[in-house]
Amino acid sequence: MTIKLTINDQAIEVPAGTTVLRAAEQAGITIPTLCDHPHLVPYGGCRLCVVEVEGVRTLQPSCTLPVSQGMVVRTNTPKTREAREFVLTLLFSERNHFCMYCQMSGGDCELQNAAYGECMTHWPLQPNWQPYAVDASHDYFVLDHNRCILCRRCVRACGELVGNFTLGMQERGAASILVADLDVPLGDSTCVSCGTCLQVCPTGAIIDRGSAYRGQETHVQRVKSTCAGCSVGCGIDMLVRDNHLVRIEGNWDAPVNEGVLCEKGRFQPLKEDRERILTPLVREKGELKPATWAEALSVVAGKLKPLVGQNGHGIAALASTRLPVEALHTFKQLFAAQMGSDMVTSIEEGVTTALPGWVAHELGHPFEGDLSALKTADCVLAMGVDLVDNHQVAGFLVKRNLPKGIGLIVIDPFDNELHNLADYSLRPKKGSDYDLLVGLSAEIIRSSLGQSQPSEPVDLAKHKLADVSRVTGIPQETIKAVAQRLAAAQKPAFVYGKGITRGGFPTVLKALLDLARQVGALSEEGSMVLGVKGEANSMAAHLYGLDKMFQAKDQQAAYLVVGDDYASQRLVRRLEAVPFKVVQASYASPLTAIADVVLPVEMWAEQTGHFLNLEGRLQAVQRGLTPPAEVRSHVDIFAAVAAQLELSLDSAWQDELTKRVPTNALVM
Amino acid sequence: MAKPKVSSDWLAACAGCHMSLLDMDERIIKLAELADIRATPITDLKEPDESGVDVGILTGAVNNTANEEVAYRMRERSKILVALGDCAVFGGVVAMRNFFKLEDALNRAYIETESTDDEGKIPSSPQLGVPTEVRAVGEVVKVDICVPGCPPEADVIFYALSELAQGRLPEIKGDMLHWH
Repeated sequence: MTIKLTINDQAIEVPAGTTVLRAAEQAGITIPTLCDHPHLVPYGGCRLCVVEVEGVRTLQPSCTLPVSQGMVVRTNTPKTREAREFVLTLLFSERNHFCMYCQMSGGDCELQNAAYGECMTHWPLQPNWQPYAVDASHDYFVLDHNRCILCRRCVRACGELVGNFTLGMQERGAASILVADLDVPLGDSTCVSCGTCLQVCPTGAIIDRGSAYRGQETHVQRVKSTCAGCSVGCGIDMLVRDNHLVRIEGNWDAPVNEGVLCEKGRFQPLKEDRERILTPLVREKGELKPATWAEALSVVAGKLKPLVGQNGHGIAALASTRLPVEALHTFKQLFAAQMGSDMVTSIEEGVTTALPGWVAHELGHPFEGDLSALKTADCVLAMGVDLVDNHQVAGFLVKRNLPKGIGLIVIDPFDNELHNLADYSLRPKKGSDYDLLVGLSAEIIRSSLGQSQPSEPVDLAKHKLADVSRVTGIPQETIKAVAQRLAAAQKPAFVYGKGITRGGFPTVLKALLDLARQVGALSEEGSMVLGVKGEANSMAAHLYGLDKMFQAKDQQAAYLVVGDDYASQRLVRRLEAVPFKVVQASYASPLTAIADVVLPVEMWAEQTGHFLNLEGRLQAVQRGLTPPAEVRSHVDIFAAVAAQLELSLDSAWQDELTKRVPTNALVM
Repeated sequence: MAKPKVSSDWLAACAGCHMSLLDMDERIIKLAELADIRATPITDLKEPDESGVDVGILTGAVNNTANEEVAYRMRERSKILVALGDCAVFGGVVAMRNFFKLEDALNRAYIETESTDDEGKIPSSPQLGVPTEVRAVGEVVKVDICVPGCPPEADVIFYALSELAQGRLPEIKGDMLHWH
């Protein structure tokens, strides 16, 4: 139903349920706000957005007021202006707002901007000079209570967007104060350092340590890109100034994360302290020495040329799954298609993607959904995946709905932080995952609760509740309760990870999918099943066939495209015996230390290309920083090597992506 | 008609506002053509004219009884009083002294300072102003115009003074009301 109303003599039509504030926005009318935020539930706390409504005695907060038929609203009258100035007067009088040394002053502070908007040149009411604490215990940000206006945006964000609920308010009235947990220093609290509070704070109450005083909005350039931290692929804003990365923020418009990031995406990338490789290096008399690109490439070509077309004892090539799709495609072109190597794979070796990929291949079609499964589920079963430690933003999507009573079922024999949040925490004995899943399926059949039958018939006699309980070590009541909870759910979702995909056989995954089918999470209509996969481009690497296990088979040369990724000790050890090693890397590491040639390559912020996230969504990566002079892109280096070997490469990376059956329908 | 008379003084201040005023560079000549610049802390005359000035400007916060007297005197002798800079407008950096007990602040300044030997002593001559709670100028006398900033930008000071010099009240808003 649409509502017709008038705001400032302008006729407006909006759907019922729209607030006056949003209706005004749609009509191009800006009403000043402080506690409001487009991504948070309206709060109505600051009262700055008050408007006059004809026929209503008192001023109304437009952020929480739903429109009604024929409503006549005025947003900029002497009464509303007086009220706004009064609200700001009281806000300034409550705490200690010293603009002169605050890093937000000069355009980035919403409080200051609001006051200037009302033409306030002074404080009509002086504060009473009570000092407030500054909490500098947190690694990444400082909390200055003197600047807090108690808008609660941080409290709301910590709960509504992230589901962590660390921040809250203590006391009442003038004694109200922001606290972490039960009033402990932020650095000692349950804060997960996602930084969402930092991003929504309208004043300088929460300040990012790393970027303070290094650039305001008007000094920086915002480059929209995709985080390279993991397969979730959150949209990020890189704030860049003079080729320096000042800060990373979540992109509010990105469909995947809608502004939310995690510590790994927001803060850790700025803590890079590895030594950057600035020129090609060639080993001479046992030592790596700087060389020109021409020299280095000539050494590489000299060693690789005789190995072109040789299988088994030829070249082994491994690439990091943090490379953009274009780079992975060119990598495969060069080493597999053109050089004919049979050992071309990723450093990840398909540990998160090969197994599900095999199942998709067998089924002949995708079987996974997207993140909306986690956003809308009323029951989530998480198996073999720790969403608190990794793929955190996917974890936030689940955590923030826990207060709504969604049943969280966590199955993992290993320590998994998700267990602490679970309604049903199951640690089956190692090796009994399959029995547990089939046992649950059997229980659902027994109680006639399922929506459909599993693809393989279940022998109920073989999976009696008592037997399943004995084999798995899970109490019978728990198995029954979980089965019932799953079957009763309207929108159950299943999320799984390495715990399932690491093993050699797809039986556990298939049993999980059967269970999903039984409860309606997987059908012709759609799928609420999601595998988290691994890194930024694990899925693309798999689709390109770069997912087999690396076998050291007396290769004569190894080419490691590690980029800015880390190579494990184990990989370094396995490569030591290879006589000639080329490492394409951004930073010095134990791997570059054993290389014969090191080629300097772009790191994540300097890359351009695409990542394919865990939903199968292709997202753009935009270069935010210009690399140092001698550093090149992956694709350029491959092209240069190919040129030396007189091989030609194509750039049909998009076509290649569609050659295999994907686990998720691709969104390109 | 005689040129309007302008006088300024500083209370508990760092002189930054007067430095910012001087940052209007050659525009000060234009100002001197429009107005009669009388006593200021950086020119020869030391008191605003007893016969009164049109515009009085005070910078700095009221920190002791001596500052109070200067404020009263300027208010009495000015038709229009301008509070220039954050210290005059709300107390500014000086007001941070209010977070501490006066006794502690005086001890820290005169006795505990690292460069003071054992003979440190809090001055108590009857000729000195007695320290008080730090206040904005507006908390002691009536202020007509507030120009916030620490210091206010030279462009804003020039705008305010040139308006006053031409007999108008400056409107500190929009482009003139921003932190640089």
